[in-house]
Amino acid sequence: MELLLSNLAHGFGVALSIQNLLFALLGALIGTAIGVLPGIGPVATISLLLPITFGLPATTAIIMLAGIFYGAQYGGSTTAILLNLPGEVSSVVTTLEGYKMARNGRAGAALATAALGSFFAGTVATVLVAASGPMLTQVALSFGPADYFSLMLLGLIIACVLAQGSIVKAIGMVVFGVALGLVGTDVQTGQQRFTFGIPELSDGIGFVPIAMGMFGIAEIVLNLERPESRSVMSTKVGQLWLTKEEFRRATPAVLRGTIVGSFLGILPGGGASLAAFGSYMMERKMSKGRHLFGTGAIEGVAGPEAANNAAAQTSFIPLLTLGIPSNAVMALMVGALIIQGIQPGPRMVEAQPDLFWGLIASMWIGNVMLLVINLPMIGMWVKLLQVPYRFLYPSILVFCCIGVYSLNNNVFDVYMTVAFTVFGYMCNKLKLEPAPLLIGFVLGPMMEEHLRRAMLLSRGDWMVFLQRPISATMLGIGVVALVLMALPNIRAGKEKAMAE
Amino acid sequence: MQLKINGKDLASGVFLVAVAVVGLYLNQDHSLGSARRMGPGYMPMMVFWLQVGLGALVIFFSLLSGPDPLEKWTGMDVGTLVGGLVAGYIAWRVSPSLWGFFGQTYNAVGFGLMVGFFVMAISAGWKLLAIICASICLFGLVLEQGGFFAALTGLIVVSCWAEHTHTKKGVLGCLVFLLIMCWWVFIYELDIRVNLWPQSY
Repeated sequence: MELLLSNLAHGFGVALSIQNLLFALLGALIGTAIGVLPGIGPVATISLLLPITFGLPATTAIIMLAGIFYGAQYGGSTTAILLNLPGEVSSVVTTLEGYKMARNGRAGAALATAALGSFFAGTVATVLVAASGPMLTQVALSFGPADYFSLMLLGLIIACVLAQGSIVKAIGMVVFGVALGLVGTDVQTGQQRFTFGIPELSDGIGFVPIAMGMFGIAEIVLNLERPESRSVMSTKVGQLWLTKEEFRRATPAVLRGTIVGSFLGILPGGGASLAAFGSYMMERKMSKGRHLFGTGAIEGVAGPEAANNAAAQTSFIPLLTLGIPSNAVMALMVGALIIQGIQPGPRMVEAQPDLFWGLIASMWIGNVMLLVINLPMIGMWVKLLQVPYRFLYPSILVFCCIGVYSLNNNVFDVYMTVAFTVFGYMCNKLKLEPAPLLIGFVLGPMMEEHLRRAMLLSRGDWMVFLQRPISATMLGIGVVALVLMALPNIRAGKEKAMAE
Repeated sequence: MQLKINGKDLASGVFLVAVAVVGLYLNQDHSLGSARRMGPGYMPMMVFWLQVGLGALVIFFSLLSGPDPLEKWTGMDVGTLVGGLVAGYIAWRVSPSLWGFFGQTYNAVGFGLMVGFFVMAISAGWKLLAIICASICLFGLVLEQGGFFAALTGLIVVSCWAEHTHTKKGVLGCLVFLLIMCWWVFIYELDIRVNLWPQSY
């Protein structure tokens, strides 16, 4: 406990430096802005800013990128409540009750609930990350290569099981992602694989062109194809404070949402949108105000908003302790760390205490900032919603292009981005999900390395994956998850749940 | 009875299988090694065979889970796609012999892509995708020799063409605002290494 406190104190020392504070604020501001704006999400934004973080110290860079991620959770709810449009995927369920509340003249109360609930959940989840991080790290240090391989395999399986739509297609995309990750120089023999003699490919396909093409620019094209469905703001924000009655009803919902969200965030493939959805289902079944659902029940805002923020924070746990990304944003964080020359994994806590504890402290500081950014300054974000998309998309495009180029000062990356834009567009038309591909792409090279090491140690015996208890457990969970999803009634339940 | 074919899944499955088969073909150059000492070809072999299997599964399920047809392609869409591919290929191959500029770095590739996308932009179905992609290619072509401002101007003006609600005044305002902002962020603050103005040669 004392060690935890002294570590946290160290973290606050790092996070409270002027530079880190400024970048945490910048991240929170950018995050809120893209959260408020429908059609641009944290994945696109973080991939867009990756090249820019190159020149920053590692800790500062990660602090800013993390701020964008949880800032987006705050910002997304504003649009959901005021316009009935989800600013982010994770705030889809907030539109259900939040917009109804706004129609009843309680927009201010809904916004306040969302912000306060998120803040509470963020605080709890941050403590959870701080407490469990070092513990899990100890466990992770006893992992051998075989265990790592199985763990990553499990992560990939769960990411697919929880993805929307067909599981087989999602697994196909993961495998294709792993295949893309194989391009480049083979680490052990130095042989060039699938590079077609192009020198730029000998380091592998760039992470930024893939992420930016598929999540940034392809998204622009798709948004342009859908004519603007932005309704005009007719609701007034009104009083930002809650009545006693509302407060009494929201509190248990926030608590439940925090628990659900913290748990679902840790799961590989989980993350904010799943957490928000889980919490909404729970509130509709369990809360005292369940008969009010559909007419603007405050529980339906408080629970999911707490859950998505809690999940956003706890999804850092697998990344920080095991080096395994649990969703597309975390895959980008791995990219950011690798650009900085840091290999994510269990040794990070000891090798990079500034980064680990500084990030945790900054999460809490960021949440305080976001509370201020979102409540008193709500008017500013409402104004931002009035900027038409025709002015927004050239700005996004310009930042993407310069960002991609400046990564290596090479136009080759610009053309790669074009290629992945076309691919991302095609995937959307074929209902192939891009997120599993990105996770596979990041994990692929690490998996190959662990696989080769494990097989070398076991002298070519594949049974090693079943003989080691940790590895066998991981594989067992993976098989169970796959079998469960193959059962028709559970599958039908998931499809029904996703359709809502 | 009609088969309920899911066109999107069918195309996805065919895509996965096709890519994997190409991958397996290229992988013949790499030595496999043994399970104990895996060579550079071992992991790709496993990954691509797995992908073939999954693609086949997707194709199998697609025959039962439809109907979910692909969006209809008009004759124009097909024509401009073929025309774009042909024009792009010719531009890529021929341009270096016309002007030394295209012989440098990846300029010929960028020029070929841009020509191809502009041809595709003729058809309404491809217009948005093609214009956005063409504008990025133009940026890549102009940036190193033409400089930062010229490349951005090309990118912004061409990409604005994709949205029909744009007015001349709006584009001009957008252009000036973005040029100033990009200069401030990327040149003044971040100091990236790039030519600002056209280079003479």
